[in-house]
Order: sequence, then C-alpha cells, then structure tokens
Amino acid sequence: MSVIKTEKIVKIYNSKHLPVKALKGVDIEIEKGEFTAIVGPSGSGKTTLLNIIGGLDKPTEGKVFIDNEEITQLTDSKLIDFRLKNIGFVFQSYNLIPVLTAKENVSFIMLLQKKSQKEMDQRAEELLNEVGLSDKFNVRPNKLSGGQQQRVAVARALASRPKFILADEPTANLDTESAFNLLDIMARLNKEENITLIFSTHDQRVIERARRVITLVDGEVSSDEHFDR
Amino acid sequence: MKTLIILAWRNIWRNKRRSFISIASVLFAVLFAISADSFERGSYELMIQNMVKFSTGYIQIQDVLYDEEPSIDNSMLYDDDLMGIIDEFEGRISYVVPRIQNFALAANENKTRGIVVMGIDPEKENQFNELSDNLTEGTFINKSDNEVMLSQGLAEIMNLGIGDTLILIGQGFQGVTASGMYPVKGIVKLSVPDLNNNTVYMPLKAAQWFYAAENRLSALIVMPQNPNHTSRIAEELNEKLDNEWYTALSWEYLLSDILRMMQMDRAGSQMIIYILYIVIGFGLFGTILTMMLERAKEFTMLIAIGMKRFQLAIVCIFESFFLSSVGAIIGIIATIPFVLYFNYNPIPLTGEMSNIIEDYGFEAVMPASAHPSIFVQQAVTIFVIALLIGLYPAYKAFRIKTVTE
Ligand SMILES: Nc1ncnc2c1ncn2[C@@H]1O[C@H](COP(=O)(O)OP(=O)(O)O)[C@@H](O)[C@H]1O
Ligand SMILES: [Mg+2]
Repeated sequence: MSVIKTEKIVKIYNSKHLPVKALKGVDIEIEKGEFTAIVGPSGSGKTTLLNIIGGLDKPTEGKVFIDNEEITQLTDSKLIDFRLKNIGFVFQSYNLIPVLTAKENVSFIMLLQKKSQKEMDQRAEELLNEVGLSDKFNVRPNKLSGGQQQRVAVARALASRPKFILADEPTANLDTESAFNLLDIMARLNKEENITLIFSTHDQRVIERARRVITLVDGEVSSDEHFDR
Repeated sequence: MKTLIILAWRNIWRNKRRSFISIASVLFAVLFAISADSFERGSYELMIQNMVKFSTGYIQIQDVLYDEEPSIDNSMLYDDDLMGIIDEFEGRISYVVPRIQNFALAANENKTRGIVVMGIDPEKENQFNELSDNLTEGTFINKSDNEVMLSQGLAEIMNLGIGDTLILIGQGFQGVTASGMYPVKGIVKLSVPDLNNNTVYMPLKAAQWFYAAENRLSALIVMPQNPNHTSRIAEELNEKLDNEWYTALSWEYLLSDILRMMQMDRAGSQMIIYILYIVIGFGLFGTILTMMLERAKEFTMLIAIGMKRFQLAIVCIFESFFLSSVGAIIGIIATIPFVLYFNYNPIPLTGEMSNIIEDYGFEAVMPASAHPSIFVQQAVTIFVIALLIGLYPAYKAFRIKTVTE
C-alpha cells in the first residue's frame, strides 16, 4: 500500500494577467520507506507538487491520498492537525523558530502534539545526536551554520514521528560539504530507520543520493527511475 | 500554554529596540495624557472649589421661586420646622450659613449708590469664608450689632470711614419701605471688584428688621460634613422639606452655567488628547507592520508545521499585552511624582488669564489634579488602544496562508 498517492493533479495559478498551469495532471505513488528526489529545472513545478502533497496548498483538480485518506477534502484547521500528525517538513529556509534553542525547536513540534516533557527531552536529544548536533542543544538558530540549521530542521521533522518527510530544496542554501552531509544523514535515516523521505532539488550533486528520482518538466512527470543504492 | 507564553516572552526580547520603542510610545502617551488631563481637571476642580467655598456653598436651601427670581419677596421662612429638619442631619451637616440679601440705595450727604445689603450671621459667615481675614479697618460686626461693615471700594466711593453713618433706603418684604441709618463698624476688602464696590454687610437680625422680613432668609447655605455626600444630602433634604415652599439645590445646580462653560473649555483639550491617541496609535501600528513583515515567513512556517492558528494568535496577543501593559504601568509610575509635584506646587499663571482669575479673588495657579481616576482612565484608554492595535498580528495569524503567493 502506498503512503502517498496523487491522482491527476492539476494546479493552475490565477496570476493577474494569464493563468499559469504549474502542474498538468501528475500521477505519482510513493511507498513506505522510499527515498525519492523530485528533480527538474526551476519553474518545473517541484514546490507546487510538494506543497500539494504536504497539504499546504490545494490542487485545482485531482486528489491526494495519504495512507488512503483523501486530504484534498480537508478544511484548513483539519489540515493543520493532519500535517502535525502525519507530515514532517524541511523548508529551504526559515525552518526554525529564532527565539528557541535547537533542542527547543525539536521539542516544539512534540509540544504541539502534547507529548510529555520527559519524552520530548529524550527524543529531542536523541534526534539531535543522530543528526550530529550533540553539542548544540542549547544554541539558538542564529548561532548555527546553514547546514546545522537544516539538520535541526530534519531532527524537528522526525520528532513528530510522521508518515513521511517532505523537504523542498533543503540544500539550496548550503555549500557542497554541508549539502552532502545533510543528504548523507537523510540517506542513513532512510536506510536504518526506514523513514520515507521526499525531497526536491535541481542540484545534480545531491540527486545521486536518492533511490528513486522523479523528474518534472513543465508540470509533467517526464521520468521516474529507481536505483538500488 | 506555558510554552506559548515563553515563546511570546522571548519574542519580546528578540528585538529589544522595537520592544523598547513600543513600550516607550505607550509610556509617553500615558505620561502625556495623564498630565494633560490632570492639569485640566486640576484647574477645573480648583475653580469649582473656590466658587463653592466662597460663594455658593455645597447646598443652598431656598424658596422654590428664589432661583428664578431672586427678590426679597421670594425669601423663605427660617422657622423651627426648618431648623428641626436640619437638626435631623446631625453629624452629617456640619453647619449652616443663613443669608438675606437684597438691593438698596446707600446715601450720605451728597451721594447715593445702588448696593447690596447682605444680612449675615457674622460667626457662621466667617466660618464659611473667613471674611474677617479681609478686614482692613475697624472691627468685625457682631450678631446683635445694629452697625454695618462696608466693602472697601464702596467706603471709598461713598467717602465713609469708621464711625461715619450710612443711610440706607430700599424696599422690604412685600413692598414695605425700608430705611435706616447705620454706623460703619468695619471695612472689608473683597477680591471680586464688583462686590468690593457694592456690598454692605449687616448682622442678620438687623437686616431682617431693615427689610421687614423677620425670620426670613434669601438662602440657607448647608455645609455637609463630607462634601462627597452633597448630592445625597440634598436629595434627602428635598424629601423632608415642604416642597410647596422649599427646595435644596446642590452646587452643581447653582453653578450649572459655569460648569457648562468649563465643559466646553475642556472639549478643546480633550481634542488634543484624542489627537495624541491617534498619533500614538499610528506609531504603534507602524512598528507592528514592520514586525509582521519580518515575521511573515516565520508565521507561515509555524502554521505549515502544524501550529494551530489560535495558538499563534495567543502568542501575538500575549506579546502586545505585555508591551502595552508594561508601557502603561511604567507610564503611571513615572507620572505619579510629576503630577503629585504639581499638585502641591501648582504652576503660577501669568498674563491676562491670571489677571482675570485674580480679579475673582482666586489664586491664579494651575494645579495638577491627582485624582486616581485620571491615572486609571488615561492609562486604561491607551492600554486598550495599544492592545487593539496589537491584535493585528493575532488577526493575521488567522489569515496567513501556508503558501506564499
Ligand atoms: N503563487 C504563484 N502564483 C503564480 N504562479 C506561480 C505561483 N507559484 C508558482 N508559480 C508558477 O508555477 C510554476 C511552478 O513553480 P514552482 O512549483 O515554484 O516550481 P519549482 O519549485 O520547480 O521552481 C512556475 O512557472 C511559477 O512561476
Ligand atoms: Mg521551488
């Protein structure tokens, strides 16, 4: 059974003058445990697709099922709750709450889920250790490098025990070393913990880390390849 | 909830400069509004206090027709019944001041002049307005005297000194002709020029005799033990008095014309305070708009990862609640010494205004009123304005989209 299934997703942006057809009927299915890269040139519709899968935006046409539940039907407040319980997010930037420390940022999502203080502390530390930030628990985002911030974001995304993690161009603002480092961590989490990960990128360097690569061109899936690595 | 508050608290410290500016604008608004209102009400209160203290008293019992037509024919009977009613208020009314007054002609060998004869109980009158302090020559009249005191201006005009005789001619109760000759016993200087040139003080008994108005009064001034009970006592008096003949009027009624004038005068400075509210309001709104611009991405992210909109709104509300209340509280605290200082050390007035006020025998000063209601009212108003403006981010929390457009 697939974790994510989209049916003929069409997204038309009604910008002021002419409507933009960002997605032109996208059908994809993602299974549990996959490590998928959505790739394609800028403007090909990657962000739009991830936003729709993540319940941040609604398609003009088509349906999105997460674990067989149709999320395109849900109201705004139901969607917020749905995202909190089911989806981990890593954005390109502005991932973290600036006034909270790394550990507090990771705990925050569990706090919204009303987890106990003990569980929050334990898991936040565990996850920060896993992303290699065991010495940064009490550091605020502005004292962390871009790569470190993204790793905290990954830890935060994992903290809620989501069904999958969506990362829209997580390496776009990172230098090569940090980018590889981040992708290595994601690959390891995928392999060792069987975490379902989907990230978008137009950066050739990091595509190779993914085990499945879906290529978008002009709002359409142009190729879908699986790799054994 | 606790975390939301912690989050708000840290957000406040995050941009110290902006928080400081917000707090400072609220603070200065409170400071300015309280001071403005305080001086305004201070001079207003002083004016009323002066009028009440030296002229009308807190309550006057009069004949029902006297207020409409203040003539000797509309004087009232000061009898045992009335005294009995006053006695019933023992402990609540501290004393009463009887007065009878009417116009008369004053004459000497070569001059006549229209004047007012004030029949007073010297002791009570003195207790009321310390008239004897104004004595410039001679001695103060006694209850049983058949002599008069002249206001100093009148004495000069009529060229009369102590021991000289004043001739009075007038009309008494119900048209009886009144006339008499009275030795001048004392001279008092009255600060209101009009009164200083036209007043003759006569002991009550003698005046009643002169006007053929035995046991009659123009008005009985009632001084309550506690001035705050004025309207209640006036009401109760009216319940007990024979309303066919008597009415008890409080100073608000007696001074209603002047009060109305003052209210109109106040409207002007209220306007300034309103403008201040608006200026501060826009200032705060500007600060908040910049803050929202800076934090829009953060808000979007928070909603995206699953923070409920109302939770975000609570954070925003707490932030502005904190900034507004700290500003308002510090504002009050900062204003207290300022207002108290000018309450005890009123600002002396200069120029034309001061001359006019001094002409009325009042000190030309502008004290600050330290009435607690001013602090509360102004601080609360500005706090509420600041809070309402601070609700804008909370409102935004409910509108913000999870995708940027
Ligand atoms: N909010 C929007 N309003 C109008 N057009 C948009 C909006 N967002 C994206 N688009 C357009 O949709 C297309 C796909 O954009 P996007 O999904 O951001 O692509 P990518 O993430 O691959 O760069 C582009 O042509 C873009 O200009
Ligand atoms: Mg994009």
